[in-house]
Amino acid sequence: MTTAVADPWSGGSGARPAVAASARQLVKAYGSGETRVVALDHVDVDIASGEFTAIMGPSGSGKSTLMHCLAGLDSVTEGRIFVGEQEITGLKDKKLTRLRRDRIGFIFQAYNLLPTLDALENITLPMDIAGRKPDKEWLETVISTVGLHERLRHRPSQLSGGQQQRVAVARALAARPEIIFGDEPTGNLDSRAGAEMLGFLRRSVDELRQTIVMVTHDPVAAAYADRVLYLADGRIVDEMYRPTAEAVLDKMLRLAESTDPGTVTPPAGSAGPAPGGQDGRGVTGVEAVSGGAGRGPDGLAAFGSLDDGFDAFGANGGRP
Amino acid sequence: MTVFKASLRNFFAHKGRMALSAVAVVLSVAFVCGTLVFTDTMNTTFDRLFASTSADVTVSPKKTDGDGSGGRSGKPRTVPASALSEAREADGARSAEGMVSSEQVTVVDGDDKNIGSTTGAPTIAANWTAGDSDTMKITSGHAPRGASEVMVDADTAKKRDLKLGDELRTIATTGDFTARVSGIATFQVTNPGAAIVYFDTATAQRVLLGRTGSYTGIAVTAEKGVTHALLKKNVTASLGAGEYTYQTKKEAADSSREQMGALLDVMKYALLGFAGIALLVGVFLIVNTFSMLVAQRTREIGLMRAVGSSRGQVNRSVLTEALLLGVIGSLLGVGAGVGLAVGLMELMGLLGMNLSTSELTVVWTTPAIGLALGILVTLFAAYLPARRAGRVSPMAALRDAGTPADVKAGAVRAVLGALLTAGGGAALYAATQAEKAAQGSLYLGAGVVLTMLGLIVVGPVLAGGLVRVLSVVTLRPFGGRVGRLAERNALRNPRRTGATAAALMIGLALVASLSVVGSSMVASATKELDRSVGADFIVQSGNGQPITPAVERKLRAAKSLETVTSYKMVAARITTPDGKSGSEQLSATDPSYMKDLRREVKSGDLAAAYDRDSMSVGSAYAEKHGVRTGDKLKVAFAGGRTAELTVAAVTKEETSVDRGAMYTDIATARRHLPEDRVPSSAMMFGSAKDGKEDAAYAALKKELKPYPQYQVRDQADFKETLQDQVGRMLNMVYGLLALAIIVAVLGVVNTLALSVVERTREIGLMRAIGLARRQLRRMIRLESVVIALFGAMLGLGLGMCWGAAAQQLLALEGLNVLQIPWPTIGAVFAGSALVGLVAALVPAFRAGRMNVLNAIATE
Repeated sequence: MTTAVADPWSGGSGARPAVAASARQLVKAYGSGETRVVALDHVDVDIASGEFTAIMGPSGSGKSTLMHCLAGLDSVTEGRIFVGEQEITGLKDKKLTRLRRDRIGFIFQAYNLLPTLDALENITLPMDIAGRKPDKEWLETVISTVGLHERLRHRPSQLSGGQQQRVAVARALAARPEIIFGDEPTGNLDSRAGAEMLGFLRRSVDELRQTIVMVTHDPVAAAYADRVLYLADGRIVDEMYRPTAEAVLDKMLRLAESTDPGTVTPPAGSAGPAPGGQDGRGVTGVEAVSGGAGRGPDGLAAFGSLDDGFDAFGANGGRP
Repeated sequence: MTVFKASLRNFFAHKGRMALSAVAVVLSVAFVCGTLVFTDTMNTTFDRLFASTSADVTVSPKKTDGDGSGGRSGKPRTVPASALSEAREADGARSAEGMVSSEQVTVVDGDDKNIGSTTGAPTIAANWTAGDSDTMKITSGHAPRGASEVMVDADTAKKRDLKLGDELRTIATTGDFTARVSGIATFQVTNPGAAIVYFDTATAQRVLLGRTGSYTGIAVTAEKGVTHALLKKNVTASLGAGEYTYQTKKEAADSSREQMGALLDVMKYALLGFAGIALLVGVFLIVNTFSMLVAQRTREIGLMRAVGSSRGQVNRSVLTEALLLGVIGSLLGVGAGVGLAVGLMELMGLLGMNLSTSELTVVWTTPAIGLALGILVTLFAAYLPARRAGRVSPMAALRDAGTPADVKAGAVRAVLGALLTAGGGAALYAATQAEKAAQGSLYLGAGVVLTMLGLIVVGPVLAGGLVRVLSVVTLRPFGGRVGRLAERNALRNPRRTGATAAALMIGLALVASLSVVGSSMVASATKELDRSVGADFIVQSGNGQPITPAVERKLRAAKSLETVTSYKMVAARITTPDGKSGSEQLSATDPSYMKDLRREVKSGDLAAAYDRDSMSVGSAYAEKHGVRTGDKLKVAFAGGRTAELTVAAVTKEETSVDRGAMYTDIATARRHLPEDRVPSSAMMFGSAKDGKEDAAYAALKKELKPYPQYQVRDQADFKETLQDQVGRMLNMVYGLLALAIIVAVLGVVNTLALSVVERTREIGLMRAIGLARRQLRRMIRLESVVIALFGAMLGLGLGMCWGAAAQQLLALEGLNVLQIPWPTIGAVFAGSALVGLVAALVPAFRAGRMNVLNAIATE
């Protein structure tokens, strides 16, 4: 088993902990007995604060499930999840809702906006629901960052898809959540609008120090992130810092090959982790935690590094 | 065929969404069928009753003109004993019996409690004859013998807890008569409620007719092989054709049934009217359901069109689903209708009316009408949505069909609605200005229909403004941002909100208009009483029985009263100078009546109308027949002589009491009527000396205690009674309108439930970004409340206009005070908010339970 765990206290800026969210031994399974399907298999992950993290993986790899669990949208079967220092596993719906409302922002692939509200009302909706007054100055900053001044009084149906997603980003940013989760936020956009959108996300990390976690299957989108986590079969099989689209694509291809039964897995050298510990953002790099304890018979316990893990995973992926 | 299969699958796949529409169809059809079954069963019951109680041939006294009111004009008409022996001699007659019976009686038990029916069925006193044994079996004791014995029917005995030996007092025109219960007889057919007491023939004659040797009718039984028609011919021949009325068993039963049938028909059509209103309200529910199903299925329909379905096929596939809904709903409705009828019969049983389920009558037309009605109405309601489905473009399959934000109400709709409403408003105004009631009602009817249609059409346009106003007042203070979201949701599809509210509007408009008319009625009458009634006390029976001479004498002798007035209704045929003649009822009173009821005259002097052979007429009558003061009218008193009476006064009509009454002195009536044809008094009035009213009132009450059929009321009591009567009537109508309102509330539930499904994604999104369950539920509840209040506002506003117009029209008939019952209106408005809350319970609960992830993932 592989992990992507950072040392929570080794960096960060001031009051905010360096780890915005984390999962420990996270298992999410559906059904039971013969029909049991494991979507997440003892995942350990830390989301560094102030960083743009992308979660990638083939469909069915569990990337959306991981995001939903981290965001308090879905319940977990085993393991613990923390947002900041607070454990959210076991929280009742009421507290979870409040957590989502006050500390988390969302950008979905589509249907992000309420059709009955105009752009501005959509942006301030989470704060309205909470009964809070938006911080005027901040709101102004967010709106100018996403460039929506002209369109604030338009209803979603009067906005283009790209504009709608920008409103969604603004909404997510406006409440100053600790983390923003994006579920394929560019999935419905053409490449230009998508690029624009990712630019906004990137800027909000760089300029507003926002923590963002984005699920995507688009290498180009992933390239905007600081760090890319790769999921396959419910496990984190690799990660990459400071990715480029080519590197991501390359890794994806390898991953696809390696999970293709019967294919011999080449050693994965070039796609090793970027020197994350040196980027000054408080991520110390990746420690591979040996996750063998109590695990199944597939013998994945002994991987000393992510690459090994990846390879081993690939080998394992070839099992019948 | 594939299209049909697709419809079938769609229908069953969405059966949950169809459920409330089906309930609406079931309820309306059940009400229609229940009414039909119930009235048919009543008819069967009465048919059997009348068939079993009618003799093969009945001989009864000839009816004379103006005698229609039965024995009210004095004692019952009779046939002499000689006729009985002649009838016995007739060819083919096996036997003949003299019958003595009267409904002009009140029977009380030892505690002076009336043992008669509480449902308006008569109390009948009769002689016990051999023929009665066919329909009644003596189940305890024995038949009455001699002057001290009386037999009572088992239903009454049971209801009033009467046992053998109990004392019963019969109050008849001839006086009071006390006897002990000697037997109890049980009907062999269902007797819906009449209380019956039997005496032996001599006693019955003495008590009911005041003399022996005559009968109220003769029952002739045919010999074997002699048809009733032949027997009738023979009896007619031996008694003389013009002397009496002869009826075969069938004719007698039919004529009894006709009277009853007319009453039942009124009830039937009233109930069907309410069922019709419910059905109309149901139409809105069905329209909404199909509109929403079509909207939700836009992509699917687009795909069907893209792969080659024609418009017609899409259209038909939706109509096929409607047909299925109609068939299933109607079938269930027919079944439920029979159940409803049984329930109604049980209810009538509780109210004291006996009906037997063994006589439950379901004729083939009942299910046929129910099915046809349910199916046609459903198809009609689904027609527009089906057409809209047909117009879906194949491109819709490709488009991303999210939840539509706002659907704008069209300009055509606004213009058409405004025109209809304005036209209706004009008609209502015309009704208020009408000088003739008939013409005015025509305007009123047109105005009601047009304004209703107009508001239904224009409702969606009004929704924008009114919902905003309502939510400023009601939602924002409670709901904050959630309230605003609710408001936006209510406004997002004005057509849907409009249709949902319109359904509620119809029911509430009727409630409001009737409450306005009802309270105006009470207010007008109260004002009228204050203005015109001078009498301190009014004595009257609660069951239409006239005041017996004994009681009249008692009242006249009362020391506490200064003046006593009798009021008799005298039937007469009046011929006016224009040559026309018609049956009228003269109000023959003592001259003191002028003080008891102050009437204004248009011309002449009312006091002069009490002169010898004088009278007054109402202004409408005077106008119609060109009668003026001083004219002489030919008055043929029923059962008496024809006289010429001088018209001494024409009274004004702007009153609700005694409208159009023709007054004359009792003395004048007596002069032209034989003593035994002078009717008993219908009412009596009394006045006490000033300051002694309370004492007199108490004394009168005590005096009349042995006569529970009479009520003595002072003016305050009288007003209260009036109010109670109007209130009871209104409550009954509200009860019947409740069905339409229930269907309308189901409509609100339906709209909310379907829009929750439609907005699954949105709800998921809001939950994801932090809307608490509680807030979500509140949002849906508030949306429901604002829709309900919108409907209530339209309905109450419209209803008050209708009510006011009706009052203005009825002012012609003395309803001249307009009173808007604000407490009722306010309560209904507040109640609507409550109804909105209740309607949202289930949809809100379901929305709250919705899984956030599934909601987001829903495609």
